[in-house]
This record gives sequence, C-alpha cells and structure tokens, in this order.
Amino acid sequence: MKRIRNLTSVNSLLRPVAAPAINASLSLLHSSASTVASAAAIPETPSPELQPQLLSTLPPSRNALASAKLPALHARLNLHPNYPIQTLARALVDPSADKNPRFTNQNLTTLGNTLTGYYAAEYLMVTYPRLPTEVLYAAVSAYVGNKALASLGREWGIESAFEPTADVDAGLLQFSRLAPGVDPKAALHRDPHAGSTLEHAMANLVRSVFAGVYLHEGLSATKQFFRQHVLSRKLDVDKLFDFTQPTRELSRLCAREGFEPPVARLLAETGRHSRHPVFVVGVYSGSELMGEGHGGSLDEARIRAAVNALKGWYLYSPPEKDLPSKTEESRDAKFKPAYIDPGEVIV
Amino acid sequence: MPVTPLRLISKSQNGVGAFVLQCKRMEFNYCDWAGSSKGMNSFLKHHLPKFAKANPQIEITVSPRPHKHPIIRGEYINGREKVICVRNLEHNQILQKAELLRNSSGLKLRRVTKPVSSMNESVRGIFSPFHGTGYAI
Repeated sequence: MKRIRNLTSVNSLLRPVAAPAINASLSLLHSSASTVASAAAIPETPSPELQPQLLSTLPPSRNALASAKLPALHARLNLHPNYPIQTLARALVDPSADKNPRFTNQNLTTLGNTLTGYYAAEYLMVTYPRLPTEVLYAAVSAYVGNKALASLGREWGIESAFEPTADVDAGLLQFSRLAPGVDPKAALHRDPHAGSTLEHAMANLVRSVFAGVYLHEGLSATKQFFRQHVLSRKLDVDKLFDFTQPTRELSRLCAREGFEPPVARLLAETGRHSRHPVFVVGVYSGSELMGEGHGGSLDEARIRAAVNALKGWYLYSPPEKDLPSKTEESRDAKFKPAYIDPGEVIV
Repeated sequence: MPVTPLRLISKSQNGVGAFVLQCKRMEFNYCDWAGSSKGMNSFLKHHLPKFAKANPQIEITVSPRPHKHPIIRGEYINGREKVICVRNLEHNQILQKAELLRNSSGLKLRRVTKPVSSMNESVRGIFSPFHGTGYAI
C-alpha cells in the first residue's frame, strides 16, 4: 500500500465557496478517482463552465455559518476546533447535487475511501492472519462497506434534503435521487453527476468526514477516529463463514499441514430413537481434538464439528498484534511483522 | 470455492468507542399570550442559553406557537420524537424536563426485567449436560 503523502496544498482541496481567485493547483481537484497522490499536469486555467459564479449573498445550501445543524454535528462527532465547519458542509454535498467539483465531496470521498479501506484491511489482516480472502473482503465490507458507512451516517444524526435546491439547510445531505426503475449500480458507475442513492450518498459523506479529519487533525487523530467510530462496532467474524463440504476441506487442510487425518468420534448422545436426539461429535487428529459439534443427527453433528475445526484454524489470532501503520507515526517504533499464512486450503 | 462469505454489516455499540448523544434536536414552543407559558418564557430568557452552550450537540430551535400551551419537542437519532407539555411549570421545572429529554434515547419506554442485556455471549457459558464429569446418582 502506497504511503499516503502529506498533502501540502490542503487549501486547494478545501477552498471555500465564492473564493476570489482560482488557484493553479486545481490539478489536485481534477485528478481521476484512483489516487489522490497522483497529481497529473493539468492546464492552469479551468474550463469556462466550471468558473463559479461569484454571488454577493450565499444561498442557504452553501452558507455553512447560517446552519444550526452543522455545529451540532461537529460537536456530536467531537471534532477538533481545527476542523472547520466549511469542510463539514462540503462533505454533505454529493456530486449529483452540484456539477462543480470545487463544491462537492468527490475528492474527499476518494481520500476517505482510501483511508477507511486501508485501516479496516490492516486491522483484520493482523488480527486474523489466516482468514480466507473472500471472507476477509466480506469482513472489510462489513466494517467500511457502503451499507455499514450509510448506517454509521444515520447514527450520526445526518438527515438528507429531498432535493438539492438552493434553499435547503447546509447541514442536510444534498444529493439528487435516481429516477424510479433505474438500476443503481449501473447508473452510479456511468455518471455520478446524474443521481445517487441515499445509501451511496450517505456512505460517501462518512468517507468525506474521515478525509476531513485526516486533513485537518492529522494522522493519529484519524486512527483514533477510526477506532472509535468504526472498530468499536461489533462484528462476529465467525458468522461470516458459509462452508460447503467442510469435512473435505478439513481433511485437505490436515494433509497439507502434516496432521494425522481427521477422524470423527461420538463423544456423547441421548435420545437416539426418540423424536429429539442430541449427538455430540468431536473431530480428532490423532489424539488431539480439533473441533466439536452437536446436532440432531450424526451427520449434522459431524459437519458442525468439521466447521468448528475449520473456524478454529481460520480464526487464529496472534497474541501480539502490531499494525503496520504504527510505523507511519514514528520511524523508530519497534514493529513486529505480522504472521503471514500460506493461504486458504485448495480442495 | 468451499468457503463463501456471508454479507453482514457490523452493529454499532454506542459508547464503546465514541459516544453519540441520541438527542439531536430540541424545539421549544412558547406563547406570549397564554398564562401557562410564563415559566417557559422565563426559561427561554434565563436558562436556555446556558443549556444550549452546555449541549452543543443538540440543535435548538425556539419558535412561538400562539394560543397553545408551551411544549418541548425532542427529536432523536432513531427518528422518533418525544414531546412534553410544560404548561404551568416554573422555569427550573422546565429545565428538568429539558434535561430529561436530553438524557433519553428515542426508544419507547419499556420495563426492564433482566439485570443484564448484552450483544456478547455469556462469559461462563451455558450449561451442557454432555460436557463435564457428569452427575453420579
């Protein structure tokens, strides 16, 4: 993962509305959605249609200081006084609400997406090094995916304006909705200015707020903000697994690791010929118990035992966990590299 | 692949990391004509600025509601609202009502019968007759 460079020209990314002069560092604003670090060479004068109109009075939807909701949101999130209300206001404007990227949150979203994705991924990779790739992606998505961040935005008390007109409060999420019947995935991919869904807009807003924390408060504050708002959420990683043929996978795992082949043994049972039998089966490798499961039939108990054995393998968590981003704060920090697993079991 | 993932989302645990006050907005309605609004008018003049300053997370709105009793309306993050009619109350009693609204979440009032409610499974585990040394009769 490329180290995120400190953005020297923070001002260009966060220039407030109706600024008198357009700075030459618009290159950062016009960069593609891939990375913020790549600042390509762009001509100095912007195109005529993107020249903002200089209005004598700000419309309410862009007047951050006139909104009561913005300072309330600022205080609710416990943001530092260095974080201006204007950035928060800008984070609330989706690209579908305004054509000019100087007033929308699309660049903040890109930065926030990089940050949240990175911190979630590194935490999960260090905490559960043996997690299968698909399950890792699902876990990252459960923390920082669109649905999760949209839910976080709602829990921050952010409301959306019905339509992004000029008279809405600046503290409302402004985005224009897609026409009914339109497939959201295709439409969002095609043109972000045409319209958005509430979930997508809310998730992008949360990412933009993270980006604002990074830009105004610094790296350690961003990590703390992430830990407090995202990592504090409850996710049972063991509930993300969906196995097909766990017994087969377990036997391949034992063969790969050089364990003795797994044998299922009945540990306890009751009511075998009654209406509700209970069987408790343990899967052994030699004399060592790998996993135990219960069920209403012998097969169910054996499969549960295999699943539990596999979960015990995949959900291994090392006692010392050093996140790689620890080295971003101080180069002298003692860093113990994470355990790297050979990979998933190939069946 | 033998392992496919299930798409779930993480559940918020307010207070475990950051604490977000559940009351996001309070609206104070007063009346200049009604006698029942005397306490409310006094509250708005003397106590409200301090209350608003102490609770910057709450968006406070004050508006006249002519010829009606004074009310405080609290809106919460779960979308529900709680309204308290503060007719004929003194300003300190109205402050108590405002604090009551500030301290609640938007959930409906419900009787709590269990001592502990938690998302985590029990630390000591649930009894199983199949594990352990068994019971000798």
